[in-house]
Amino acid sequence: MTRLAKIFLILSFGLLPLGSVGAWAADLRFTAGEYSGFTRPFLERVARDYEALHPGTRIQIEVIPWDSYLQKLTTDISSGDQPDLSIVPTMWISDLAADGLLEPLDGLATAEFKAKFIPAFLVPATVKGQLLGFPAAASARAMVVNTELLQKAGAPAPKTWADLATAAKAVAALPNTYGFGLPGKEVEVDTYFYYALWGFGGEIIKDGKSGLASPEAIRAATFYMSLINDKATEPAPTAHSREDIFRLFKEGRIGIIFTYPMLVPQLKTEAPNLKYAVMPFPVETRPVTLGVTDVLAMSSSSKNKQAAWDFLQFLYSDKYRAEFDRAEGLLPVTASEAASSYYKDNPDIAAFAAGLAYARFFPTIKGWPEISDITVRALQTMYLGQKTPTEAMTDAARQIDEVLARR
Amino acid sequence: MQNRLLQNRALLLLLLAPSAVATALIALVPVLLLVRMSLSEVSRFGRIGAYVGWENFARLAEDPLLPAILLRTGIWTGSVVAGTMLIALPTALILNERFLGRGLAQFLVLAPWAISVASMAVVWRHALTDEGGLLNRLAVAAGLLDRPIPWLGSVPLSFGFEILIAILVSVPFSTVILLAGLSSIPADIYDAARLDGARAVDRLKFLTLPLLRPFIWIVLIFNIAYVTNSFPIIWILTQGGPANGTDILVTYLYKLAFTFGRLDEAAALSILLLCGLAALTVLMLRTLEHPAHA
Repeated sequence: MTRLAKIFLILSFGLLPLGSVGAWAADLRFTAGEYSGFTRPFLERVARDYEALHPGTRIQIEVIPWDSYLQKLTTDISSGDQPDLSIVPTMWISDLAADGLLEPLDGLATAEFKAKFIPAFLVPATVKGQLLGFPAAASARAMVVNTELLQKAGAPAPKTWADLATAAKAVAALPNTYGFGLPGKEVEVDTYFYYALWGFGGEIIKDGKSGLASPEAIRAATFYMSLINDKATEPAPTAHSREDIFRLFKEGRIGIIFTYPMLVPQLKTEAPNLKYAVMPFPVETRPVTLGVTDVLAMSSSSKNKQAAWDFLQFLYSDKYRAEFDRAEGLLPVTASEAASSYYKDNPDIAAFAAGLAYARFFPTIKGWPEISDITVRALQTMYLGQKTPTEAMTDAARQIDEVLARR
Repeated sequence: MQNRLLQNRALLLLLLAPSAVATALIALVPVLLLVRMSLSEVSRFGRIGAYVGWENFARLAEDPLLPAILLRTGIWTGSVVAGTMLIALPTALILNERFLGRGLAQFLVLAPWAISVASMAVVWRHALTDEGGLLNRLAVAAGLLDRPIPWLGSVPLSFGFEILIAILVSVPFSTVILLAGLSSIPADIYDAARLDGARAVDRLKFLTLPLLRPFIWIVLIFNIAYVTNSFPIIWILTQGGPANGTDILVTYLYKLAFTFGRLDEAAALSILLLCGLAALTVLMLRTLEHPAHA
């Protein structure tokens, strides 16, 4: 019996320390959001190239869909297993920094290395004077129109928001087509509203208060609502995610959409016969676009900071940077890449890149995801016809002010 | 003899030890961590800060969205469990009879069990999209609809479909349990009843259902826990939207934790959910073990 008992004891406790077998000189874990199908193979290739040059280092690449990235990172961090390097959206930086999870990089980065970057892009990752990351991706939004549909409908490409309404209605009058693609489901429902909000001169947050109850915001909400009521959008925006809208656009069923640059390579491969043009957002008071940046940051708890720093520099070599930006349809973050003719000669890319000059960013404040969710809910109740634009916006503003007061 | 008994008990305890240790590690440790989180301030990335007592629970009580979500969770669990029972019980009764093609019928009823709920939900999401969706294309081709309907665009329609899909997913498991229960009922008591002149309805009412009772309770207990905690169908179809109109407690819990980064309140809510389900389960198990009329 005692022998049997021993076996059970060994089996039940002996399995525990299996985790730490075969450690290398330097093990690095690198996580990134999935920009496209290219992201993982590309990062894997860079990691293998680096390992070939540094035989003591082993790099584990994890590419995670954006939808579940925050959950993954939270779980990793709370179980004490923060990745050594991660590419994260800029809006997470302030929360990560507040928990002391990011390694300040001022000491590691030489002036020469910092000079590689467009200076404006170093600002979002600087918290309380400390540089906590380098720009890993930059993007701006623009309008894309189906030129064939607009021509058929006899509508010129919209320059103002009023033009957009006219053109959308004209395209919607054609058989089996929709004028303007308005996503009302899942990611970025609120982002589509901010384009109009900014366009009409409003602000998401002004003087520490929500800007959604402002006349500009109500005008923007009313504008979208009248597009829906005039049947100038696809029917039931709340049934359509951004990806659904993009799919309909690729099928040539929608006249006007707002999009990120990554859609352009998709249009080229998936809808080679589609005739489209990339242009700036409609202008009312001032030109607007949304700028989005992601940041490459290092964990403050990394055991291999020197190796991590070394790999980070390797990743920013011009060769890889150019390949990554171009394949992912991103905008340049380094000065040398920005000077490349690629971003000026190609009209599709140039239209997106031009926006960087006047791009606006999401506010980097605590509680932003909640504010964004309140806005999404307000828009959805309005799109469903449960509230008028004024009701929806003033209710949302009140709830957002509560969130702002709490944080 | 005495010695032998003691030795046996020691052996029994030793044999139980590995699974007891594993259970403690797997189930108890996370629950304790959850309790600690629910009583502390937790940052978005999981750093546990100061002890705040019941503050997280108090904030949940003030959450304007929660009452509607709680009610909806009740409707969700109630209608899915009831619907599952209404389909699974007759199905099991039919499949328990001998008829031509019974094997095939059993296979067809039970096959969906092999498919993961998440992939089932993804397939349904495609079937229900308004433009290229299978349901709309079939309905338009058959002349039932003039224009495609955006099934997932409004709350009542999308929640209704989510309930239907959840029922469909729950039926195979429930049928298996009930079939197992039916096969445990000896055939000769039916022969005896028939000799006594009992009609089919009487045999069902006075023999089958009472003898099947423990199995019906087991199906209910399992389904209530599974369905209340069922995340993938609602998340994949609508993510609880539009405007939180299809959110149930678990989907809202996920949003609290991973969208809003309020891990402390999410921990508090999951403790409440855990306690609620545990209380319900204990209550039902007691009813199962000590029937009121026994």
